[in-house]
Amino acid sequence: MGHNDIKKYILHCSIFMMVCFLVLFGYIVYLQVIEAPSLLANPLNIRGNEALNVVRGSILDINGKELATSEKPGERSYPYGAVMAPVTGYLGQEIGSDGTEAVSGTDLTGQSRQMQMLGPIGQALQSGRGNNVKLTIDADIQELAYDALGNNKGAVVVLDANTGAIIAMVSKPAVDPSNVEANWKELTAREDSPLLNRATQGLYPPGSTIKVLIADAALDEKVTDLNETFKCTGKLQIGKEYIGESHGAVHGDHVTLEDAVTESCNVTFGTLAMRMHGKGLEEAFDRFGFNTPIESEFHESKCHLPQFLKLGDGDTAQVGIGQGETLVTPMRMAMLASAYVNKGTVMVPYLVEEVTSPVGLVIRKASPTKWRDVTSAQRAGIISGFMENVVKNGTGGAAAVSGVRVTGKTGTAENSAGADHGWFIGTAELPKRKIAFCIIVENSGGGGTVAAPIASQIITAMRDR
Amino acid sequence: MKTKSLLLVAVDFLIMFAGLGIIMLNQYPKIDYTPIPWALGAAGLGIFIQLFLIKGRFNDDIWIFPMVLFFSSIGIIMLARLKPILCVPQLRWLIIGMLVMVAVLYFSRQLKDMMQYQYILGVCTLIVLCLSLIFGVEIGGSKNWLVLGPFSVQPSEFGKILLVLFLAAFLSDHKDMLKEARKRFLFLDLPPLRFIAPLLVIWGIAILMFVVQRDLGSALLFFCMAVFMTYMGTGSKSYVFIAMCFICLGAAVSYAFFSHVQVRFNIWLDPWADAVGQAYQVVQSLFAFAAGGVWGTGFTHGHPGLIPEVHTDFIFSAIGEEFGLLGCTVIMMVYVLMFYRGIMVAMGCKKELHTLVAAGFSIALFTQAFIIIAGVTKFLPLTGITLPFISYGGSSMVSGYIMIGLLLSLSKKERMNGA
Repeated sequence: MGHNDIKKYILHCSIFMMVCFLVLFGYIVYLQVIEAPSLLANPLNIRGNEALNVVRGSILDINGKELATSEKPGERSYPYGAVMAPVTGYLGQEIGSDGTEAVSGTDLTGQSRQMQMLGPIGQALQSGRGNNVKLTIDADIQELAYDALGNNKGAVVVLDANTGAIIAMVSKPAVDPSNVEANWKELTAREDSPLLNRATQGLYPPGSTIKVLIADAALDEKVTDLNETFKCTGKLQIGKEYIGESHGAVHGDHVTLEDAVTESCNVTFGTLAMRMHGKGLEEAFDRFGFNTPIESEFHESKCHLPQFLKLGDGDTAQVGIGQGETLVTPMRMAMLASAYVNKGTVMVPYLVEEVTSPVGLVIRKASPTKWRDVTSAQRAGIISGFMENVVKNGTGGAAAVSGVRVTGKTGTAENSAGADHGWFIGTAELPKRKIAFCIIVENSGGGGTVAAPIASQIITAMRDR
Repeated sequence: MKTKSLLLVAVDFLIMFAGLGIIMLNQYPKIDYTPIPWALGAAGLGIFIQLFLIKGRFNDDIWIFPMVLFFSSIGIIMLARLKPILCVPQLRWLIIGMLVMVAVLYFSRQLKDMMQYQYILGVCTLIVLCLSLIFGVEIGGSKNWLVLGPFSVQPSEFGKILLVLFLAAFLSDHKDMLKEARKRFLFLDLPPLRFIAPLLVIWGIAILMFVVQRDLGSALLFFCMAVFMTYMGTGSKSYVFIAMCFICLGAAVSYAFFSHVQVRFNIWLDPWADAVGQAYQVVQSLFAFAAGGVWGTGFTHGHPGLIPEVHTDFIFSAIGEEFGLLGCTVIMMVYVLMFYRGIMVAMGCKKELHTLVAAGFSIALFTQAFIIIAGVTKFLPLTGITLPFISYGGSSMVSGYIMIGLLLSLSKKERMNGA
């Protein structure tokens, strides 16, 4: 055991530590280059809002109305208060931020992505005022929808079906963002979750609104066709359980698929769901993207779907009428409706129309992108026709607006927490654009009576502008 | 060539003055000039020492000291930026550190002689470590401080030096025993218990530090040092294996019984589970690295203040945020170069004892840097420990300079006739 042996062992240890160090360095490269963008986008990261000497840029609606403004660093006002709360989000030193304040934080403080790439050089170019963020939201429609919900809890989403632009995103109850930080403890403890953006994060059973998806799936799986007639006795017996019609209705012996959508026939859709089995239903929900997260400018709750393959017949039938374990967000249902007036294509919903510098230079402009093709153009036309019939002759009559082709589907979601939630999803072909919408009014009873009239108000207002 | 090393020292202080200058400009119109005389003093002393190293006929390693000064300069400007109050104390510690280093170099022959008294060293190591175990006061969550009048000292920083010296002396003296007189047990080669006993004591103390003092960083460093030293001295993989079993057992037991260990480990596994609570520091540190990206936000333009205790354990996160990946790369590269020079010194030593001491110090500093950088980036569970020469801390600064002083004195080419 000589001196040279010791040197050899020292080299072993050195090489070992060098390798450890090299691996660590590789990890830091990964951290600062590859993982950095997702860490920067993390809602807990308040660095984007920490530029203390910067006057934060304004948040504007599509017509340039101010939704959030700052006069001097550290100060912020929200002219629309609670109405725009789900859109603007809030901001606080201690509580972090949410909504557009969070998602567009780097834009609002003027730290553009290009400038971040420049690093220290970008700091030299940093201006004293952040960039303005112009949203796709129409403040008038947002206010109208907010007022239309009255004292109810609920949510309204209005999308441009062809582009995915979010025209309104209402959630009730809501709080004025300027009061959030002061009342943080009380607000987070409140049982009705006023800080939750119900439009994208509220999870509800879809009720009968899901039937437009089931009808599409049944045609796709070829378990029925347009000519088959179903027999509705008001009750579908499955073993010891049964599915009934609401209000004890009986739809008769000659119910076509179109009639079933129009009258919202539970017996027909329970039957169709059972014919497709778990596998067919799973494929349909997959096809419509209920399992795929949306990469966009809002925080979304993941929809909750049952484990289709493990369902018994009774539970499978429940899926067909939107009851049971299935939970969806209003945003997802508006997107579902939009597919039927956009040739079977769903666009990525987006909020930020453009980002402009304080002197008015356009830094970034939204470009509508396709999310996915969920069904064929031909079938979209068929289902859209069914939905038009719902408004013309069926449960959604209250949504009708003269001079506009309105389609829709009502829903009434039973839930353990109290009275049923009323749903209305649908589309309207206005002279200039096609819109899709989703309205949910919590614990209000039937969708046709409470939710559909709100749709009518929105469509009328948008028609007349 | 030799005189060019002076240029490096100049660059180090240029960094320091440029950094301090930027901070003073930011303070305009209320500029605080107090660090300037101290910084000038440090710069003068640094240049003087480097001149001494160059001109002295010692054939010393002239590259290590400029690298240490580089770290110190970065540390000073980061402190001036993060905790201006601590900038002057840190400069003072830097000057004290350099003076202590000069003293070590001056008495290098006597110190080299003392390195052979293994049992005295062993007893000293025990006393220093037990001091903090028994009289330790809790500061910042770790009960590893000794309060001596106006000073707070971290004995573990100095225990580190004694540990390396003791193990080097013990191993170079007993290596034959440790190597030859062994029994086979299963696939392990075991030496007689009395030879391995000191090692067991060291490991045991490391575990105690782990549990009693909550000083996970020092415990981990001590343990790694003990294992590295044993392997370097004996080349026996059995020791490494036994040590690994020992630490795994210790870690498992402390995980099962002590909540602070559990907390650290759980934070590492999933910091997002409690990102605003117990994992706040680590999560903010990750955000800092992300904010830095490749280029960094630029000096004074980041928000490292969001990380609690950023000026000590988390100073590397501040560097990662403001200097970006580039800054991290430079810092890590200089650590590697310093390590390389240190190992080269070890390779050049004529005596086994000196070889082990030099290699021990080099690996100790390098491992310490590794442990804390890995901790703040969530590469490994976080164990609080200082980043050598950069973090704020008097004990750590002075003990670091003692190690460098000893390393430099070992780099002297000894004359063959032993004169």
